[in-house]
Formats: sequence, structure tokens, C-alpha cells
Amino acid sequence: MNQRQAVEDFLYHEASLLDRPDLDTWVSLFTEDGRYWMPAAEDQADPINHISHVYDDRVMMEIRRRNFVHPRASSKDWPVRCSHLIGNIRIHIDPSADSSAPDSGSATGDVLTVTSNQHVVVWYRDEQRVYAYRGTHRLLCAGNQFAIREKRVDLINPDAPQRSLIIYL
Amino acid sequence: MNRVPDRNFDALVTPTRIHRSLYTDPALFELEMERIWGQSWIFIGHESQVPNPGDFFTTHVNHNIPVVMIRDKDGSVNVLHNRCGHKGAKVVEARSGTVRGALRCGYHGWSYRFDGSLLKIPNEKGYENTGFDPQSACYSMQRLAQVDSYRGFVFATLSSDAPTLQTWMGGARECFDNLCDRAPEGEVEVAGGVLRYEHECNWKFILENLNDTMHPMVVHESVVKAAEQYIATLPDDAVNERREAEIIPPFGASYEKFEDSGITGFDYGHHYDGGKTSIHADYSVDPEYHAAMIASYGEERTREIYAFNTHNVCFYPSLTIKCAVQNIRVIRPISVGRFIVETWSFRLKGAPDSMLQRTLLYSRLINSSMGMVGPDDLEVYRRTQEGLASPSNDWVEFHRQYGKDQQLPDRVVGGGTSDLDMRTQYRAWKAYMEGSIFSAKRSERASMGETQ
Repeated sequence: MNQRQAVEDFLYHEASLLDRPDLDTWVSLFTEDGRYWMPAAEDQADPINHISHVYDDRVMMEIRRRNFVHPRASSKDWPVRCSHLIGNIRIHIDPSADSSAPDSGSATGDVLTVTSNQHVVVWYRDEQRVYAYRGTHRLLCAGNQFAIREKRVDLINPDAPQRSLIIYL
Repeated sequence: MNRVPDRNFDALVTPTRIHRSLYTDPALFELEMERIWGQSWIFIGHESQVPNPGDFFTTHVNHNIPVVMIRDKDGSVNVLHNRCGHKGAKVVEARSGTVRGALRCGYHGWSYRFDGSLLKIPNEKGYENTGFDPQSACYSMQRLAQVDSYRGFVFATLSSDAPTLQTWMGGARECFDNLCDRAPEGEVEVAGGVLRYEHECNWKFILENLNDTMHPMVVHESVVKAAEQYIATLPDDAVNERREAEIIPPFGASYEKFEDSGITGFDYGHHYDGGKTSIHADYSVDPEYHAAMIASYGEERTREIYAFNTHNVCFYPSLTIKCAVQNIRVIRPISVGRFIVETWSFRLKGAPDSMLQRTLLYSRLINSSMGMVGPDDLEVYRRTQEGLASPSNDWVEFHRQYGKDQQLPDRVVGGGTSDLDMRTQYRAWKAYMEGSIFSAKRSERASMGETQ
């Protein structure tokens, strides 16, 4: 399997865990210092000194995954199911390089930056909602094995009023 | 504003219950927008959002009246109706930004000074000898009836009958003092952007919930348990992980702890819980911040500032602030079943960056639409909104500790699990809706020999 196929398979696998959702397994895809970041502004540079919708480290992911299945979590009484559709996948060998650089398909570094467009339909509270985002995965790779160092979710409407979202996108 | 009530509000609000239509009737919502939001002082923004002349921020003063807060060339902050004096188009469309020279309408190019006065009409000679008076206020961008600020927090009201901002704030004003005094330099500024969170329910639920201390151990039980279960798995040396997780468990504080924190109510519907202690009292103090505070205020005053520890302070109906956390939530109603909450975070001037980072962490974890606390609150508001469609009982009650509220000269105090906050805000709600709130207070002040 070439690297591009392996990366695509990994993204599809990650998305399928969120689709079900199986947060316990999903959290395990992250490195110990892994982060999940959903900025609240366009082109947000800073997750610490500017507000985000989410900026979770493993501590918060660990609390969230336990809360997600807790019988007394009222906002989780409603079933949540998602469908991720992923396209426009591009692999960037050097994260500092021009983001429009094409996939060379011959990465040798330890960290890959993968961008994608993701459309997510979320079923929650008897209603379907659509989210669209540009995903940026920073993947730690050993051969064709990957772990997520950071997943960044740039919604196309990060500054819009948002409704309750109880699942990672 | 002496209106004859067109509804019998005695039949909708009693000292211990309110009628369910307060949450569900679109006609009542429209009346609220006119009589509560149209009379009360409404929070518009903070002066630090418009630091330089021409800087502006747009919002609504109620569900639909557009306004713009703009810094004038003389340094003052104006709040103007965002409506062109000509055809009525909104003059400023962006949410925030900077205007150079003059405000200019994008329709026929009428332009205005930053105080709202009409500067220029293109091809003006067509108005000669038509009776048109360019000096008339109605052709300007009019200022709201009253505009004032307190320690940088800008409020405006559509009512010329409203008392001064500080009179309206009453004793709750000390909470703004405490928020700002927590800055080594005595000032705060907006920092780190805003979260907007859509709520599919009536706007009053969030104000009721702020100081409803009987709900956290139920509504937030699951996330507290999840945090505690996680903390129990941590090895002893996992100091950072433990510190980060400590922000969650106070939301499950016991009934006793909340009882001790007390609730205080004020005229015009304001209220807070805490004072001597609150669920925010046990957060560890950043040593660098503490040193800056001691350097500014000395040991004794610093302790006094920390010791005043409120949880949520509600300035009815548009604003709630957290002094100890340095964030605020602004209520923006839309319709009877919908409103937006904006969460703004503040930097304490003179404090290390770690303090702002802590504030943002709090806003993100607790107040975000993807937070660990807010979505569970909203879920129970929505269930209440849906449940109140039932005709089985027309009333929502708030009897807890009724008769035990203690009236002091400028406030009412009671136990921390009292429904005193409900009685406080619905007394104000009724007085606003009857159109009598300012006239009644005015005669009360006059009879006590006070002057405005």
C-alpha cells in the first residue's frame, strides 16, 4: 500500500469511529500530547490566547469520552449519529511549505500534514444538521502506522452562532 | 412612562409563581421587547472594543433594533441608532471595524459624524426650498435616549425616564468594581474573541438558571463524575492533568455549599449568588498574578478583593458577569423561543498572560456550544420550553424559602438555595411590563428624600 492510500484509509477509519460514534477508540488514535482544535475565528493563529469552540488535550478528551456515555448526561440522552464525507485530501510533506504544494507521495519525515474537506451530517435531537470544515491532521507516522498529534477543524462558519454540539466533528 | 396595563399582569405574576405563557406567548415576547428591553439599561459592549476614533461595534438593543457603538474623535463612546436618516437603511453593516472620516450610508451616500450628526448629503441643492431641515435630529443617526458607562462597560437605554446607570445598578455595581479591581492596574479589556451560542428556548431561562443552585448537582452530575473518575486514574505526579481537571468538579458542589454562598437581590431585577464564597472560591491563585496584586494593592486590600467571591451576577435583563473568572455573557433575544448568548473574555490589565488563558479555558470548557456544562443546561431549558406546552398546570412556582428573604436598605438577602433570585427578577418583570417601574422607583426615591 502506498502512503497516500494509507493516509486516506486512516482518515476514513478515524471518521468511521466518529460516525458510530466510538469515542473510546477514537481517543486512542491521538498521541499522548495530541490535541483536537476547533477555532472560533477564521485563520485563528492561537489556541491559548484566543477563544475556540474546543481545544482539547487528552485530559479533556478523557473526561468527555466518559461523560459521553454517562447515563445522567441529559444532552446525551438523544442518540447521535454522524456521516462524514471526506474529499480533497492533500498530503503536505513540509508543514511550513506552501499549502498548495501538490502531493509528492514520497514522505520520509516523521510528521505529515494532511488537509481535507469534510462534510458532516449530524443526526441529533430529531434533526439533521450539516457542518462543513477544512480539516488539518498532523500525523505522527511510523511506516504506514499513524497517530494524531493535532486535528484542526476549521468550520466554514467559525464565528456564526453555534448550536449545541456534543460530538467531535 | 405611565401606561395603563393592557393585560392584567397580576394574573400572570404572583410573589411565588408565574404563568407559563411568559415563556410561550409570542405577543408577550413582543411586549417584553418594548417594555423591558425598550426601557431598561441594556449592555452594549466594552469601551476596549473601540479603542480609537472611528472604531465601531454593531449589535441590537433588543431583538431587532440595530445600534452601533462608536468611538468619537473627542474620545467619547457613542451609541447610535444604526439607521440612515434618509431612507432608513442600516448605515454600518459589519460587526466591528474602523470607519475613516465619516459614517457613510451605502444607499445614497449620506454621511454622518461619529456623534451621529448629519455631515453631508450628495447633490444637496435638490433640497433647497423644499422645507427639508438638515439640522433636524430626525435626519441624523440618533443617539439612544441615554448612554453611559461604568468602568468601561457601556450601557444604553431607549427610555429617557430610566434613572442614571449607577442608580439602576444599585448595590450590584460593586461586582463591576470587584471584576476590575482584580486587575493589578484596576482595568479590564476585552480579549481573545467571542463565542456565540444559539439557544432554542425563551431568553428568561438562562437568567433563571444563573443562580438556581438546586440544579448543578443534577444537571452537571455526569461531567463531574466523569472528571472525578478520570482524576482517580491519575498517578500522583500528574500535577498538570489534575490542575486542568479541577475546573469541572465545583459544578457538582453540594446543597450545603451552595446554601452557604447566599443569594442577594436588588431593585430592577439584578441578583447574584455568592459574596463571601462561591463555587469559584477554591481555584488556586497564580503566584505571578498574586505578586502583581500585592505590589498594586498591598496584602490587606488584595485579600479583600479575592474574598468578595460571587458566582454569577445578573444585570437584568441583558448581562451576566463572573468577577472571579473575568468573563461575561450577553443575552441577545431573537424570538419567544430563541436567543443568542455571547461569551466575552477579559484581560486583567497588569496580570500575566496565564490569567487570560485561564479565563479562555473556562469560557471554552463551560460556556462553549461544545462545552462540558452549557449543553446540559440548554438541554433542560429546551425540555422546560417543550414541557410548558402542557395545559396540565398553568403555573411555574418559586416558593423555596419564601417568607425568609431579609430586606436590607438597598437589597434583599437569603439562603443560597432560596428562590429569592426568581422573586427578584419577576417582581422587576411585572413592574417593567406594567410600565410603572421607573415612576414607582422615582416616587419611592423622592419620598426617601433622595435627589437624582
